[in-house]
Amino acid sequence: MIDGLLILLFFQFLGEVVIRLTGLPLPAPVLGMVLLLLALLLNAPFSQRVAPAAGALIKHISLLIFPLGVGIVLQWDRYQDNALALVVAVVGGTLLSLVLVTLMLKLLMGGKHREKGGDGHGH
Amino acid sequence: MDTEMHGLAGLVHTPLFGILLTLISYRFALWVYGKSNSLPLFHPFLVASIPVIVVLPLVGVNYEEYREQTTLIAFLLGPATVALAWPLYRQLHTVRSVLTPIIIATVIGAFIAAGISVGLAWWLGAPQDVIASLAPKSITTPIAVEVVKSTGGSESLVAGAVAITGIVGALAAGPVFRLLKVNDDRIRGFALGLVAHAIGTARAFEYGEKAGAFSGLALGLCGLVTALALPWIWPWIAGFLS
Repeated sequence: MIDGLLILLFFQFLGEVVIRLTGLPLPAPVLGMVLLLLALLLNAPFSQRVAPAAGALIKHISLLIFPLGVGIVLQWDRYQDNALALVVAVVGGTLLSLVLVTLMLKLLMGGKHREKGGDGHGH
Repeated sequence: MDTEMHGLAGLVHTPLFGILLTLISYRFALWVYGKSNSLPLFHPFLVASIPVIVVLPLVGVNYEEYREQTTLIAFLLGPATVALAWPLYRQLHTVRSVLTPIIIATVIGAFIAAGISVGLAWWLGAPQDVIASLAPKSITTPIAVEVVKSTGGSESLVAGAVAITGIVGALAAGPVFRLLKVNDDRIRGFALGLVAHAIGTARAFEYGEKAGAFSGLALGLCGLVTALALPWIWPWIAGFLS
């Protein structure tokens, strides 16, 4: 667990260093993720040690996120003027994206070896 | 206020209070989510927010102060983002042979998902910072929050938009797949992961292991593609919007 946390923080730090040196317009943790992915693909010797810490953080990601989300309600006066745009873009946009992305995937991946999926027992 | 800090009432103005409230709310939300058999509508993001939203105004702690109290929790978003390399690495390993079509699909899909929300918000007259908060709404929250820091949106708004997107996507997936006659688990999983990130991936696992794996892969790749592209493209979009 400690090893994993150390590796994750080290790669985040590495991302920060690269961004400060190059001025890339990317978030440091994202660059850290790319660097860690590259290290893993190159069979870095520590790959198994990342797993416990990474798994724990990802499993409880909602814990890290929801304190941000409560700001929408507690600072609603900031957002109420755009309520309609927000609801339509988030709800309608998601439905529209889901339909379009599914159609695009059918076009790209549907042609070859079509598989019988778990129709009927997925609900 | 300073004298109050040492009395019992001053306790609510300490990080201990904010972090404890956050953990209790989350623990409660996990229990509710388990009881509901992981129904997307009872996702911990929504349920955990309720006690915090109720308690903070009652004890007189505003949102800015709460954010300060929970700095420790917010800090963990950084390493959590880096941690996403691990599941991505594992999924990439399993689908190496079909990687090219998958990456093409990811790039087009990420563009569709971001473009539609930006387009709709712009069409309805939302200001630029709101549009910036909606652009990364289909990608997993830690990455979306990081991206918004570089495009100048609101962290609260993006966290909420991402969560609602995941919930709507997970709820709508069944009817949409039936309507479009999708029987391929790879497509179901990939579409869910691309549009509805982690919440969609939890839904995809209900279709089976294969759908879940494709969803996890789409989640990781879509987040990566969007995070790498958006900070470069955004100044150009912002220029067009204003």
